[in-house]
Amino acid sequence: MTTLSPPRSRTAVPPQGSRGILLALLILAALMGASVLIGWLLSTLAAQVVPGAPAYLLLVFTVVSLLVLAPLTHRAFPWITNWFYLLPALVFILAFTVLPVVLTVNYAFTNYSGQNSGNPDSAARQDATLSSDRRTVTLSGLTGSAQEYLNCAAPNCAGATLVLYDEDASVPYRVKVASAQGNAFTLAAPTPESVQVAQATRINKISYVGLANFQEIFGKASRALWPVFLWTVIFAFSTIVLNSVAGLILGILLYNKRLKGRNVYRTLLFLPWAIPTVISVQMWVALFNQQFGIVNKSLGLLGIVAIPWLNDPLWAKISILMVNLWLGFPYMMTATISALSTINDDLYEAAEIDGASRWQQITGITLPLLRNSFTPILLSGFAFNFNNFGIIYLLTAGGPAQEGRESTAQSTDILLSWGYNTAFVSAGGQNFALASAIALIIFFLTLAISIVNFKAAGVFEEARK
Amino acid sequence: MTTAPNNLPPGNLPPGGYVHREPSALRKALPWIIGVVVLALIGWLGAALVDSLKDKQKSFSIYYVDRGWVRFLLFLLAASGVLALTSLLGQRIGMARTGRRISYAAVLGDQLTHLFLILVVLIAIYPLFYVLIAAFDPRNSLFAFPDFGNPNIFYKTGLLPDLKQLNLENFAKLFEGVTIPAWQLLLAVIGGAALAAVLISLIVSKVGRDTDALANVRAWGLRVLVAALAVLVIFMGPAQFTGGSNESKFLLSVRNTLLVSGLTGVLAILLSTTAGYAMARLRFPGRFQMLLFFIFIQMFPVFLALVAVFKLLTDLGLGNTFAGLILAYSGGAIAFNTWIFKGYVESLPESLEEAAMVDGATRWQTFTRVVLPLSRGMLVFIFLNQFIGTYAEFILASILMTGVEHWTVGVMLRSFTSGQFSTKWGVFAAAATLGALPIVGLFYGFQNFFVGGAVAGGVKE
Repeated sequence: MTTLSPPRSRTAVPPQGSRGILLALLILAALMGASVLIGWLLSTLAAQVVPGAPAYLLLVFTVVSLLVLAPLTHRAFPWITNWFYLLPALVFILAFTVLPVVLTVNYAFTNYSGQNSGNPDSAARQDATLSSDRRTVTLSGLTGSAQEYLNCAAPNCAGATLVLYDEDASVPYRVKVASAQGNAFTLAAPTPESVQVAQATRINKISYVGLANFQEIFGKASRALWPVFLWTVIFAFSTIVLNSVAGLILGILLYNKRLKGRNVYRTLLFLPWAIPTVISVQMWVALFNQQFGIVNKSLGLLGIVAIPWLNDPLWAKISILMVNLWLGFPYMMTATISALSTINDDLYEAAEIDGASRWQQITGITLPLLRNSFTPILLSGFAFNFNNFGIIYLLTAGGPAQEGRESTAQSTDILLSWGYNTAFVSAGGQNFALASAIALIIFFLTLAISIVNFKAAGVFEEARK
Repeated sequence: MTTAPNNLPPGNLPPGGYVHREPSALRKALPWIIGVVVLALIGWLGAALVDSLKDKQKSFSIYYVDRGWVRFLLFLLAASGVLALTSLLGQRIGMARTGRRISYAAVLGDQLTHLFLILVVLIAIYPLFYVLIAAFDPRNSLFAFPDFGNPNIFYKTGLLPDLKQLNLENFAKLFEGVTIPAWQLLLAVIGGAALAAVLISLIVSKVGRDTDALANVRAWGLRVLVAALAVLVIFMGPAQFTGGSNESKFLLSVRNTLLVSGLTGVLAILLSTTAGYAMARLRFPGRFQMLLFFIFIQMFPVFLALVAVFKLLTDLGLGNTFAGLILAYSGGAIAFNTWIFKGYVESLPESLEEAAMVDGATRWQTFTRVVLPLSRGMLVFIFLNQFIGTYAEFILASILMTGVEHWTVGVMLRSFTSGQFSTKWGVFAAAATLGALPIVGLFYGFQNFFVGGAVAGGVKE
């Protein structure tokens, strides 16, 4: 490495190669780090001066200091301007995508859940008395040892946290334990006069558990992971096949220039795409009602028995595919029509002169030429449906229940809804850590699909251009 | 299958540059093998499904027509027969009139295509029609038996609506106890007038000639409409909604959704245009790596990071606020929009920017004065795409926002259908109709953007 002479560092030419990248990233990291630090200092100060100052002042101050520091950085390194174009997007992605993702990856190796949430354990609350020097708390009702109660590593529980309550048990007050003897806890510092101690409890700590979450997932894989994964793949694949076949047929029929009123058909068939899915899927739930839904009433007119659309594991899967077909065929139809309009009409004329039938024209000209523009659409459609949580959640919420499955992974749950159920539905016990581990698995699967997808669509070449 | 001769040197090509090679037997058989496998799978699935229906109860006998499908098939057959006759007539008349040979198969094919398409449209659109009718049906229940006494089975099942029963009761429930001050009414009238002006000018330009004056009317009408809507959305507040029930706050949820979606759309533009421009035009070490980073970080299922997002927003004091929701949405919107804008800028001719730079403009000036004005259409697309995507979002909103005054349309609608006794069917239908209208309007108004943009996005994503 050569040392930079001052005039060269002031040029607008960025240093090349990976050294250039590293240097730029370092400068940007320093810039953002400094801004966050200043923002944090200022907001703490503001909280000191004005009690009750909102916490989001941190964001405001950080952005302001970024605005002040950026021109200064630019004076020192003029070539950094290129990166400043990326800065707004980068700051946002770091704050609201990367940071949550990092936290989630972190949670995947902990026991974070609704219970182990880092909050005081109200179920383990005990009556407590404070000694006159306000340094010793005695839990009279404690049965086990102090180490067991506080769940701490050292036998005397030095450094563990105890939570004190007053009579109303309204405001928790956290104190550090210096040592524990029997059921008496000696505190590191005397409790202030303002706290009237009546009760005490422990904190449900979030602790690292290594790979235990992944062990749990793979240990019960036959009850959750494999069937859910299988259905996710079948769901995404069949959706794409059904939608594209329907879209192709309708698109080819509607591209026929001789057909009168084809714009009317096109406009009407466009409608399912135009309606927000959050509305149309909920509409289908009502229409698929077994006794009163209009679908079964219509089928009754055809002499078909009432089908348990959403109440039978197999039929629920069919319903999901059908609703997804209804939602997705207009897009495929439109894509077909657009792709068809790029095919030169001369080809068809030549084929007609050579005596090819309409069917031969479709199989010999239309379909092969559509393949190029359709491959990326199909692949991105597969990737989208692989994580198409919305339709599953709104239509069946993963149900109906199936025997031999975890309660969070029912007959129509896809990977993503399984993770969601684990974290946010009462059946999953708010196991945020397990859900984060599932999220990590989904991330790697999506990554694999997307790499194939990008390779096929030429994204890497286009990015490198 | 014909394949281009890759292995022949170019000099040896026959005239026309094309040789026909018989594909291998396996290759020829492949479609048939796949077809047989697919048929077998479908057959197995069908058998399993039919088997699952054995000894299942029929629907209510008043709706049940034994062997109804035979009648339906007969109807289709009769319709095809009629079409065959009319096609024959049409072909003969056409040939007599024009004196040209017209293929009977082509005419019949077109007629049968019409029949098929009409059936498809009926099946695809009927559910929407049913919900629309239910919105005007005050009997407010999915579970109501329609007219028992009516001899016509279509009316008896409720497949066809009883028009005499319809009124606006469901909609009235949505606006119960809503107080609207005069200035908001005035704004709404102005906005409505602007919309009407835009629509009328559109119709006039479709029918007659499109003039500059008409384009001017459209541009100003749109501006007035957007401005009036923005003021309305920003200054409408929960205090105006005095009704006690959830459904009386529907308009508030629409306002919330418009506010969140609109700001997210604006933020998406602000955050992704500079980055997209830099990725397309600036060459600096690290550009490719950053682009890959942008693309791949997007693969993480953001709403499984929901726990972290929730904690982050709560720690920042933004839990249960629109600002927090908007920030959470915007974080997930950047990469895709950056990619789309990059592709668009690359399609612009670079010579324009070079000319501006030769004239002494800086990079930034080139970007703001040359590139941005040229990409107005793309910006509209990014905004609309983000707007519609956010409008239809449900999960983040339902977890981050608590309290009926903060609900978005999706969450509000969910509350109608997921109640313990999901009987607010009429109200749901009315709310769904009103809630879908703005998006349907946008979709049809900017149809070409979506057809072009979505397909391009699909190709590129």
